[in-house]
Amino acid sequence: MTHQPLDPEPRAPVSRTLKLALKYGFILFWSAFVVFPFLWALTTSFKDANGVTNGATWLPWLQYQPSTQGWASLFGGPGGTNIVRPYLNSIWVTLGASVVSITLGTLAAYGLSRFTFRFLFFRNADITFFFISQRIMPPIVLAIPFFLMLRALGLLDSLAGLILVYVALLMPIAVWVMVDFFNSIPRGLDEMAWMDGCDPITTFFRVILPNAVPGLVVAGMFCVIFGWNDFFFAFTLTFTQTQLLPVSIVALNSSVTPWWALSASALVSIAPLVLLAFVVERFLSKGGLAGAVR
Amino acid sequence: MARIELDHLAHSYAPDAPDPAWALRPIDMVWEDGGTYALLGPSGCGKSTMLNIISGLLRPSQGRVLFDGRDVTALDTGRRNIAQVFQVPVIYTSMTVAQNLAFPLVCRKVAPAIIRRRVGDIAERLGLAPHLQRSAVGLTADHKQLVSLGRGLVREDVSAILLDEPLTVIDPQMKFELRKILKQINEEFGITMVLVTHDQNEAMTFARTVVVMNHGEVVQAGTPQDLFEHPATTHVGYFIGSPAMNFVEARLEGGMVRAPALGLARAAPAGLAGGDLALGFRPEHLAPDGPGQRVGGRVTRIWFEGLEEVAEIARDDATFRARVPSGMFRTGDDATLALPDDRLLVYREGRLVV
Amino acid sequence: MLEIHDLTHAEDGVTHLDHVSARLAPGTLTTILGRTGAGKTSLLRTIAGLLVPDSGEVSLDGQGWSRLPPWKRPTAMVTQQFINYPHLSTLDNVAFPLVRKGLRWPAARDSARAMLDRVGLSAMVGRRPSELSGGQQQRVAIARALVKQAPVLLLDEPFVNLDYKLREDLREELVDMLRNESGLIVLYASTEPREALSLGDRILLMAEGRLLDDGEPQQVFGAPATIEAARVISDPPINILPLTVGAHVAAGPFGAQDAGDLIRGLAPGEYRLGLRAADLRPGGRHVARVVLSEVSGSETVTHLDLAGFALVMHEKSVVTHPPGAEIAVDANLARGFIYGADGTLLRREAPHGQD
Repeated sequence: MTHQPLDPEPRAPVSRTLKLALKYGFILFWSAFVVFPFLWALTTSFKDANGVTNGATWLPWLQYQPSTQGWASLFGGPGGTNIVRPYLNSIWVTLGASVVSITLGTLAAYGLSRFTFRFLFFRNADITFFFISQRIMPPIVLAIPFFLMLRALGLLDSLAGLILVYVALLMPIAVWVMVDFFNSIPRGLDEMAWMDGCDPITTFFRVILPNAVPGLVVAGMFCVIFGWNDFFFAFTLTFTQTQLLPVSIVALNSSVTPWWALSASALVSIAPLVLLAFVVERFLSKGGLAGAVR
Repeated sequence: MARIELDHLAHSYAPDAPDPAWALRPIDMVWEDGGTYALLGPSGCGKSTMLNIISGLLRPSQGRVLFDGRDVTALDTGRRNIAQVFQVPVIYTSMTVAQNLAFPLVCRKVAPAIIRRRVGDIAERLGLAPHLQRSAVGLTADHKQLVSLGRGLVREDVSAILLDEPLTVIDPQMKFELRKILKQINEEFGITMVLVTHDQNEAMTFARTVVVMNHGEVVQAGTPQDLFEHPATTHVGYFIGSPAMNFVEARLEGGMVRAPALGLARAAPAGLAGGDLALGFRPEHLAPDGPGQRVGGRVTRIWFEGLEEVAEIARDDATFRARVPSGMFRTGDDATLALPDDRLLVYREGRLVV
Repeated sequence: MLEIHDLTHAEDGVTHLDHVSARLAPGTLTTILGRTGAGKTSLLRTIAGLLVPDSGEVSLDGQGWSRLPPWKRPTAMVTQQFINYPHLSTLDNVAFPLVRKGLRWPAARDSARAMLDRVGLSAMVGRRPSELSGGQQQRVAIARALVKQAPVLLLDEPFVNLDYKLREDLREELVDMLRNESGLIVLYASTEPREALSLGDRILLMAEGRLLDDGEPQQVFGAPATIEAARVISDPPINILPLTVGAHVAAGPFGAQDAGDLIRGLAPGEYRLGLRAADLRPGGRHVARVVLSEVSGSETVTHLDLAGFALVMHEKSVVTHPPGAEIAVDANLARGFIYGADGTLLRREAPHGQD
């Protein structure tokens, strides 16, 4: 059964059509606004130096001569640097750090949400705040200690070192999101599971976790977006061996800006996030979140 | 103060569907100024839809709502001069009780002196005077509910109070206090009050007129006594009263409506057509002895309720229940009870004939 | 035999359980009657192991449960809230405890199906709890509790959040279902005297964490052991009046003429009299002012003010007493209960309310 909300206005066909037209007009306008930068990047990525300097042109062959120079440069073609390695590095670091952060963060959050901890005068709320307080400090303050620590460990300019640093940065977000989410799952559900014969560990994996999927998705999204986009730490903690994607894109911007290469690499670097957005959107529209939280 | 008229009112949440599901079937009804009314029915019977239409939260698919003859169908809630109390108390937790009560007047830019006087009056009336300076957060549920009510009453132009299951969250012992205050306010100010509830006891103790609803339809409207003694349908007979009314299959036989299973009969009213006939009687109307017909059987079960108990009595394949003084029967006893003739009602196709 | 021995529990200075002891035999349904905050839920949660008492112990057939965590106790529970697993279908919900017990899926599924059949939900096996009505959700919870066949079943006001009439119907269904389960120890918490009296083979009265009385419903209702017990078990409320016996006799607003045999043999002194609302009736010499009169179908409950005493009168007929009206009332004091100054029952005169 579908109940659509009642149209508050009397159903006069003329005003209805007008309203519809206005609605779609606005949506079109807004879409244009959003799509424009992508369109610009897409056309620019297929231009050469001539095409770029000739101003804003949109139609290939008619207005400018398309060239694959920008895309070729991604693989080390003329005027570019190979970004395949940095790309793979970014994927490894982002996924690795996100998986570790979500796993540890979720476990920590469940503990903080369900059990009472006391450490000196610290209580659950203080511990939760302690996690998130790590993110209050400006990154610049963290960069030097991180640098020194990684150097001491011999992990400077390595994937493992970067993953470690990102875990330190991402886990607070995961804990924060998940504590909130677990708090919204009624305790009665845990207790019911206990009564049904589940010990706390089984309760967590068989009952709470399946009901926390929407929270995991949100936390995961935060982690992936942050990890993928971070430039600062990737820049300060690596040299040449393990360059990440944002760093190598910025490195393109030398004396003469190769707009075509920049546009192409910008598009590739956005691609995974766009893909993620579609997946999450589908998940949300399937009602993944609906009804899970009471 | 207002007389509320519902004129051909009906509502569907999908009015454009080829066969719209009516949340509220077409209804005409007048609620007198200063009356107490209860809308009674199970979840999804349309009672909340009706209340939301009257308060203006919902615009009906058809028909009109009139307050004192004035068409308010298109008016917003804020302009209908209605006080509402919901199931869960709505209070501003950041304010004191006094600030909560004053808020509707402050929003309307009423002079501070008048606000102070009105808030004082209302607090006195509701027994909130000792709590005026307290934060509204720490109040008990019944006091919070009184604050919600007071915020509605503080305006001098209130025409009706709509109560949407306001007693659900209240402790049983405090329910009486709240009902008492509501009735006093009704008596004193003559404000029309409409209560929505699923609890027959709450409806009947509160309202002079109870409107029983089922499947989006008003099944019967009447005094509690009316509903109890002459339920218009078998559903009302079931819904009102604990235990429910007894019904037994009957047939038309030589000018009598007979229920052979229990040996009960009543003269058929003139012009009664055959069809799906039943005889109905209340468990409360069966007496140990006295005038009327005898009805009996074997006691199969007893629910002790204190001074009285409910006995389930079976005869052949029909059973009925009787409310009797405690200790009168034991399970397995043969029981015979008397039923006054006028307490035996005839139903045809589920509707009361006589 | 489930033994509850001297349970005590306090939290933040509030006593939830105050030396509660009871022995519950298999095959009985015991109702716990008390107002909100009387300690009913705390008692049930302690038995289930969800609450660790400050002192005292629960044991079943001589085996102490102190060291058993909730997941190892042979108990099942249904709460006020409709708690089911949101991510599982109705069938999986009911099969869940069986699977946890180590049953193979086909066997668990068949038992779960059979149990859903008994609660009238066979058509809903594939649905999620969120797609069910409140009544249906609670039926699933009951099915989940019963399917385990735990010897101890705890029901904490299971129907209180449902529509009034549905509550009545489900209550009967539940009793029918429990009749097929022999040897169960069932505890049912309730705030409604009528429900507790009609449902229970036995009734525990609680207030402020204390056990006020414990016995068969007829006995507990017929002679409430203390004033507090009388208050908890009476609906409509019972009238409690000061009773003075001496040169001058007074029971609240009533005098020696009304008392009759009531005070025969009582030593002079101060007592208290418990008088049921049904033992006040219209007529007689005393004129009372109507505070509020409430009609419910076939009965009328009237709150009166008689010489400064608040009284409640229960009539078995429909009468209209407008507020503020003055009516004549009479009291059948001989049917009252006499309580000592400490609130314990001294004696009751005429037997009534039972055989």
